[in-house]
Amino acid sequence: MVRSADVARQRRAVSESAPGVVALTGLATSIGSELTRRLVERPGLRVVGIDLRRPYRLDGRVRFHSIDLTDPTADSRLAEVLRAERVEALVHTAFRTRSSSDLELDHELETVGSLHVMHACAAAKLGRIVIASSTMLYGPRPDNPNFLSEGHPLRGHPDAHSIANRIEVESFVAGWRERHPETEVSVLRPCWALGPGASGPIASYFALPLVPVVMGYDPLVQLVHESDCLHAFERAALESHPGVFNVVGSGVLPLSTLLRSAGRRMLPLPSPLLYRLLDLPSRAGRGDPPAAFYDYLRYLWVADGRRGWDEFGEPHYSTSEVWMSFVGSRRLRRYR
Amino acid sequence: MTKRSGVRADFERQVEVLVSLSEDAYGDTLDQLSAALDGLRREIRQRFPSHDTRHSPRSRVDWQGLWDTLRRRVSTLGMSERSAQVDEFGLDPVVLDRARWLFDGLYDRYFRLEIGGVDRLPERGPCLLVANHSGVLPYDGLMLSHAIERHHPRRERPRFLLADWLVTLPFAQPFLARVGGVRACPENARRLLDAGHFVIAFPEGVKGATKVFRERYRVKRFGRGGVVRLALETGAPLVPVGVAGAEEVHPLLFKTELLARPLGLPFLPVTPTFPWLGPLGLVPAPSKWVIHLGEPIATRHLGPDAARDELLISRINEELRQSVQQLVDRARRDRKSVFE
Repeated sequence: MVRSADVARQRRAVSESAPGVVALTGLATSIGSELTRRLVERPGLRVVGIDLRRPYRLDGRVRFHSIDLTDPTADSRLAEVLRAERVEALVHTAFRTRSSSDLELDHELETVGSLHVMHACAAAKLGRIVIASSTMLYGPRPDNPNFLSEGHPLRGHPDAHSIANRIEVESFVAGWRERHPETEVSVLRPCWALGPGASGPIASYFALPLVPVVMGYDPLVQLVHESDCLHAFERAALESHPGVFNVVGSGVLPLSTLLRSAGRRMLPLPSPLLYRLLDLPSRAGRGDPPAAFYDYLRYLWVADGRRGWDEFGEPHYSTSEVWMSFVGSRRLRRYR
Repeated sequence: MTKRSGVRADFERQVEVLVSLSEDAYGDTLDQLSAALDGLRREIRQRFPSHDTRHSPRSRVDWQGLWDTLRRRVSTLGMSERSAQVDEFGLDPVVLDRARWLFDGLYDRYFRLEIGGVDRLPERGPCLLVANHSGVLPYDGLMLSHAIERHHPRRERPRFLLADWLVTLPFAQPFLARVGGVRACPENARRLLDAGHFVIAFPEGVKGATKVFRERYRVKRFGRGGVVRLALETGAPLVPVGVAGAEEVHPLLFKTELLARPLGLPFLPVTPTFPWLGPLGLVPAPSKWVIHLGEPIATRHLGPDAARDELLISRINEELRQSVQQLVDRARRDRKSVFE
C-alpha cells in the first residue's frame, strides 16, 4: 500500500518537475563523467557540461562550456551560460578526488568555486541544485555513534584539508538554502563508492599488493555501489528531492573481514609508525599527512542510510556485495 | 598383487588390475580388495603425476604443493574464525561461538558466578539493564551478558555498553565489538532498544569503572539520568542489577597520570599486580561473583512525554541507584568471603 502510493508520488514528481536541461560541473570526476553518460541517453533531456578542459572522450551530445571556477569572474560567466542554455537543474561535482599538493588551489576550486556556482545559480534563478558531498565529512572519531544521521555535526578530520573545504561548502549551502527557499537544494553524501569502474584513492588503496592497516583497530566499513550512488544522483537531478541525504549501501563489514574474504594481504602497522612512515611525501609538500586517510581506517564513521533509502529506494548492493563486485572485476582475489 | 613395481608398469598392467579386481572382488576378502585398490592408486599417482611435480621428479617433498597450501592458508587466514557477515553493530556470531569456551570457563570455574532473579526479566525486548560498574576492564559487562544468555528462556544475549576510552583501546576494541560490546552513547542505545534488544548500561560510567579499592561497592551518581530518559522514550523497562565480585578483579590501589598520556589512557591504573608484573598483571583475580537482578521498573505507562519531565527523571534515577545499591549489598552478603 505504502509502496504503490510512493510510486505514484514519484511518477507525479517526475512528470511535473522533470527538467529539460541539466548542467553538470566537474565532468572529469567519477560521478560527473558517469552521470553525464547516463543523462545524455535520456530522451528529451539536454545536457550542458561545465569544466576547465574538455574531457577526452566527451559524448558529442553534451554542450560543453569551458569555465575556470577559480577565476574571480567565474560566477557571472557561469550565470550567463546557465541563462543562455536555459538550464533548469545543476549537479555540482567539481571537487577533488585525490588530495593534491597545492592546498591553496584546492581551496580556491572547492570552496570558492562552489561559492561561485551557488551565486550563479541564484542569478540564473535555477529551480534545482544537487551538491555532491560525502559521508567522510562526518569525520572518523572514536566518539561517533555507530550510525551517523544527516543531522550529526560535520567534524571532518583536522589534517584533511579537502574535507575541511567541503565542510565549508556544506555550511555555506545550508545558509544559501534559507535565503533562496524557491530553489530545491539536494545535498547527497555518498560513502566510499566502489564497483567495476571504480578509480581514485580508495580503489587504488584496496588494490595495493600489501594493504597497510592500523594495528589493533578493525573498524566497520560501509560501502556503496557506483550504480546505486549514480541512481541517487540521477533521481535527485531529475526529480524533486530537497534535503540532505546519506547515500550508502546496506550492512557493514569489519575492514579485516573485507580484506581477508578476498585474500588480500594486510600489513598491520602500529599507528605511530604508519603515520610517520608514510608521512614523507606530505612533509615534502604533497597533500595531506597519512593520518587524514588512515584515521578513516581506524575509527568509526558509518552513516545511517534510512533517510536516503526512503527517498531514492533501497540499494541494490549490500556492503559485502559491493566489495565482491569490486574485487571480482579488478581480479584482486588472491586464492584459487 | 600387493607387491607391484609400479614405476615400470604400463597401461595394460593397469587394465589387468582392474580386471583382476573385478574378478576377485566377489571371492576375496576385504583386505585383499583394499590392498589392490591401494596398489592401483599408487600406480595412477606415478603414471599421471600432478602438474607441479612433473618438472622435478627427483624431489621427494612436494614443495610446490606445500607452498600453494601455505599461501592459501595465509591469504585466507582467519576467515574460518569469523563469519562473512556481522550485524550492524559489529557482532560476529562465529567469533562469539569461538570465544564461548573462554566465557564459560570464566563463568563456571574462574569466577564461579551465581546469578539470581533472571526470571524477573521480560520474555522479549526491549529491556534496559542497569548495573554497577567496576573493574577497569569490562569483565562485568561480558559476564553479565553471558550469564543472562545462559539463563534466559529465549537465550537472549544482551548487548553491553562500553565506556569511551575502551573504544580507542587497540586490540581490545575490535574483540569487544565482535562479542557484543557497543560504545555507550544515547544514539546507539536507542537504536538497540528500538530494534528490541536487551541492553546493559553502566550509568556510573568511568567514575564507576575506576573506583579505588577503598570506595568499592559504593554506587556512584548515575550520570545525568540519561538511562532513565532513554527508557522513558523507548518504553523499555529498567531492571536494576547488582554485581558483587567485579571490584576485586583488578583492585585499584590508586590512579596516576604518570605515563598515562604517552600510552593514550585517561590514567594509569595501579593494582597490586599492574604495572609491576607487566602484561601478567592484567590477569584478573579469581574472585567469587554473585549477581542479583531486581524487580523491573515499568516505564511504558508513563509515555514518551515523561522524558521531558526532569524532576520525574531524577526521582526514578535515584530510586534506581538505591535499588542497585541494595542489590549489591545483598550480593556481597551472599558471599562468604571475596574468594568463596
